[in-house]
Amino acid sequence: MGSSEVALPAASNRWRIAAAALAVVVLAVYPLVAPNAYLLYVAVFALMYMALATSWNIMGGLTGYISLGHSAFFGLGAYITGLAVTRGSLPHLPMAVVAGLVVGVLAIGIGYVALRVRGASFVIVTIALVYMFNLLAQGWRSLTGGSTGLRVPVIGDLSRMQVHTLFFYMFALMLVLVMATWWFIDRSKLGMGLKAIREDEDKAQALGVPTNAYKITAFAISAGFTALGGGLYAAWFNALDPVFVFSIIIGANMVLMSLLGGVRHLLGPVLGAVIVVPATEYFLVQLGETQIHLVATGLLLAFVVLVMPDGIIPAIAALRRRRDPPASSIRESAAGAATPQEVTP
Amino acid sequence: MPSPSLLLQGLALGILTGGVYALLAAGLTLYFGVMRVVQIAHPAFLFLGAYLTYFLFTVVGVDPLLSIVVTVPLFFVLGMAIQRYLISRLRSDSLTMMSVLLTFALALLIEGSLGVVASGSFRSITVDYATRSFQLGTVRLPNDRLIGFAVATVTLLVLFAILRYSRYGQALRATIQHPEAARLLGIDTDRISAVGFGLGLATAAVGGAVLALITTFFPAAHWGWIARLMAIIVVGGLGSVSGAALAAVMLGVIEALVLVTLDATWAALVFYAFLFLTLVFRPHGFFGGRLAGRF
Repeated sequence: MGSSEVALPAASNRWRIAAAALAVVVLAVYPLVAPNAYLLYVAVFALMYMALATSWNIMGGLTGYISLGHSAFFGLGAYITGLAVTRGSLPHLPMAVVAGLVVGVLAIGIGYVALRVRGASFVIVTIALVYMFNLLAQGWRSLTGGSTGLRVPVIGDLSRMQVHTLFFYMFALMLVLVMATWWFIDRSKLGMGLKAIREDEDKAQALGVPTNAYKITAFAISAGFTALGGGLYAAWFNALDPVFVFSIIIGANMVLMSLLGGVRHLLGPVLGAVIVVPATEYFLVQLGETQIHLVATGLLLAFVVLVMPDGIIPAIAALRRRRDPPASSIRESAAGAATPQEVTP
Repeated sequence: MPSPSLLLQGLALGILTGGVYALLAAGLTLYFGVMRVVQIAHPAFLFLGAYLTYFLFTVVGVDPLLSIVVTVPLFFVLGMAIQRYLISRLRSDSLTMMSVLLTFALALLIEGSLGVVASGSFRSITVDYATRSFQLGTVRLPNDRLIGFAVATVTLLVLFAILRYSRYGQALRATIQHPEAARLLGIDTDRISAVGFGLGLATAAVGGAVLALITTFFPAAHWGWIARLMAIIVVGGLGSVSGAALAAVMLGVIEALVLVTLDATWAALVFYAFLFLTLVFRPHGFFGGRLAGRF
């Protein structure tokens, strides 16, 4: 079902290991060589979105349930961490982890309700979640500070550059963790069940897949990681604006990035974030705080949906298949029988 | 506990606002009915309509209620084009999800363009006939709300008459009920769907004019309406025009009563509370909504 089943020549495995090693080296060195705070900030932001989009993809990619409201979990994680730090004087980083766990448990309850419906209704519910928590964050002034937002004290006594460096590594660590989780689920029995739900939920249920329990599990894991990302954001960014953290745009970005790269691939959401975040920053720098970046995001999303709904990775794979000579061994051509051009006449 | 007269005032305002909600949500029901599409950009089109009304009023001097002569045909054609050239290009196996994302992209495009053209500042239209109010016993009814309610009622009645009595309406209802059977009977369901989409967007033009009259607006205002209107169509039962109208009035009244007894935050939460209650106890909605069961 996923890319994993496409038979790859042994040589490409060596390339993969080399690419992964290169990625690790780049991640380790970047904060040390980044020329200025802004470029480091953009990199932290990109890493955050890579981790968030991959978290979203645990639900969206594996089960096909598209949530436009994951910013609800992002915002909850951010506010739980922010409030624990400001009101309870608790340590930043452990509280982000606690926020992830709390929201993960909370999402079991939310998922129980939200996952009673499918398709379009599910999307509606997730959008409603964002606005519900947005209202709560703005309305519950005595706790959250209302629409003026929440100021979170800076972690330790670090300089701006040091804070960026610390959270560069924190988000990188989270990204590795989320990717490992996605990879593991993708190959597990749970993953098989989730993908069966994606292809045909009724048939999956008839075949004995515990669809409800599986969906809620995936939803809770996905929400928990998203909240961890929100918690790290609160600790890093030091200022929470309810209109921003509970905005539908953050959730939509996760969806856009995942779709752009390809939801069925481990690296899909990462690739999407690598493209979208610098592009958004470029627009902001070049054009200032105008609304043009919304137009650009809208055009990109419409393009992906209309022209490339499977994402970049499958599109490139299709191009390569067309270019490469047909597979030679009988076993390989049998495995690739689904794609007509690989069948030897 | 607030006084009876305050409650009565809340009730009256709730009914008037609920009528407007019914108009604003009517298009969503149509899209969902003919195409099984959740059109997230509908509120964005409402505010596009409001801005067109605003500019026709401030630049050309056209009365907000007369401007619908221009905006309704425009939106009708636009809706047909969106269905023809965008929605119908999507693969049918992933139509529901992809159409949500596509219309989401449209909403971003509209909001961004409005932000560039009209800036992010708040706008409103003041016409002197709408600022007065009408006294009925102890209840004071603002004229703008009365006008909004009247426009909504007339529009919904026209829509209902089209669906009920015209040949086209029969074909549309047949398409909603069973697309394949409708095709077997010789109905061009693609064309009918396009016209259904056009009708839905045309209601957004009327709704936009009403919104321009009764509220202040800014480019990002539509986000706040998406969840509210979606809650209405879910409570009403997806795909049922009369169900959505009943749910709209009901939620409008409850919202207004909560507003006079508690505060604005709780009033806004009414919609979400009912959305989740509906999903827990009656996922197919409270008023009909046979279609929702298929999702």
